[in-house]
Amino acid sequence: MKTFLGRFILLLLLVLPTTVMIFESGASGKFVALGDDSMEGEIDGEDDDDEGVVETDDATGDDGEQAVTETEKPEKEEEEEVDTSLKPSQDVDATILFTKPVNTNDLPSGKPVRFLVGFKNNGEKDFTVSSLETSFRYPQDYSFFIQNFTTAVYNQLVEPNKEATFEYGFTPSEAFNSRPFGLSILLNYKDNDGNEYQSAVFNETINVVEPDEGLDGETFFLYLFLVAIVVLLGIGAQQLLTTFGKKHLGKGKAAPKVEMGTQKTDVDYSWLPQETLQEINKSPKGSPRGGSPRKRKSKRGSGEE
Amino acid sequence: MKIISVLLVLVASCLSGYMADDEGEPRLLASKNILNQYLVENKDLTVEYKIFNIGGSAAQNVRLEDAGFPEADFQLVAGNVQATWERIAPNTNVSHSVIVRPVSSGYYNFTAAEISYSAGADAKKRQVGYTSSPGEGGIVNFKEFNRRFSPHVVDWCVFAIMTLPSLGIPFLLWWSSKSKYDSKPKRS
Repeated sequence: MKTFLGRFILLLLLVLPTTVMIFESGASGKFVALGDDSMEGEIDGEDDDDEGVVETDDATGDDGEQAVTETEKPEKEEEEEVDTSLKPSQDVDATILFTKPVNTNDLPSGKPVRFLVGFKNNGEKDFTVSSLETSFRYPQDYSFFIQNFTTAVYNQLVEPNKEATFEYGFTPSEAFNSRPFGLSILLNYKDNDGNEYQSAVFNETINVVEPDEGLDGETFFLYLFLVAIVVLLGIGAQQLLTTFGKKHLGKGKAAPKVEMGTQKTDVDYSWLPQETLQEINKSPKGSPRGGSPRKRKSKRGSGEE
Repeated sequence: MKIISVLLVLVASCLSGYMADDEGEPRLLASKNILNQYLVENKDLTVEYKIFNIGGSAAQNVRLEDAGFPEADFQLVAGNVQATWERIAPNTNVSHSVIVRPVSSGYYNFTAAEISYSAGADAKKRQVGYTSSPGEGGIVNFKEFNRRFSPHVVDWCVFAIMTLPSLGIPFLLWWSSKSKYDSKPKRS
């Protein structure tokens, strides 16, 4: 046990500068304890090896030559396991305001949605707002992306005690009608030292609804078509009724048609040559085209009808 | 006792300060948008500014200044690039429009305008902010825009004149043959 303790104390002395650095960096302070735990575990398990071989304890991606970076790596991996996302900065106040549509969680599909993001720098350093990401996520699991909208790149510098506003617009697709989505709007920014931050200005579930169209071409012609069908049915019914009525009632009423023959109508003789006209006027019976009225009728009858 | 009272006063002031931040401060969000679909040189360009107050109290002495339209590049047609509002009540918005005319064509980066306002009448500290910037826009050359969008009346007239021969020649042929039959009297 004493050799264990001795080795352990020696290692701690070597590791002290790095632990001091970790304590200084502030934000990752809470992960120091976990890092220490992993270090202890590894030391206990590999007591045969030298202190310098600590780097082989780490599973992957360990290519540092210096002891400092190597011992930092297990802590970093521990960090990454717990939280890989960027955090908002304490000096920044980010808000959102939807300008279209206002005050509702129902977004009409096919219509643009616009909002303003306000960014206020309450700190002492400059901030640079890099970009704004908007995405639709699965409402039950916000880490699953359904649609990612275009990232707006601003790269605007905001000095201390100043505000800035950023506008963004997107249009939900009509394919997403009548479904709830998790809308996630993230603002990325960084400070002078290059630290990156991210603020989730909106992270709630919204509904995509069908817009209330009103009268448009399709519905107008649909109603016109229905009216036409009704009229057609009416006409059909009317025809049926008349034929039915004629069958039952109309047998005796229609008078039998009597053939009367052709009467003497005004016939135009002006196109006949002069000689023929004179002959006709001389002898009405002996006209070249003469014949009994019946014959004439039969000759004409084929052409008349 | 003194210490306790001092501590109490300090705590009370801190708390009141905290509460004021939550409810009683105005917060303005300003957007700047160009309403035109096409930006054409020597044609009007409309810029609309909208200011929303999402804070808990009214914003006093609001001033909007836009230095993004220098005289060298833009000619002011209507409106003023500086506007002031005495008071913007909470949960309300105001808007302001300016019409300018670009003097030359090319790509132009439309930058944010500045707004400044104060929380109270005492105007101890003015809060300065930027509006949203419309970004880079291309101003189209006047000739190219006209080529696509003007009514082209002269062109159509010239076209009509040029089509007259292809219509006129068959017509003349028909007319000449028709007139021959019109003048002849009927055969007896």
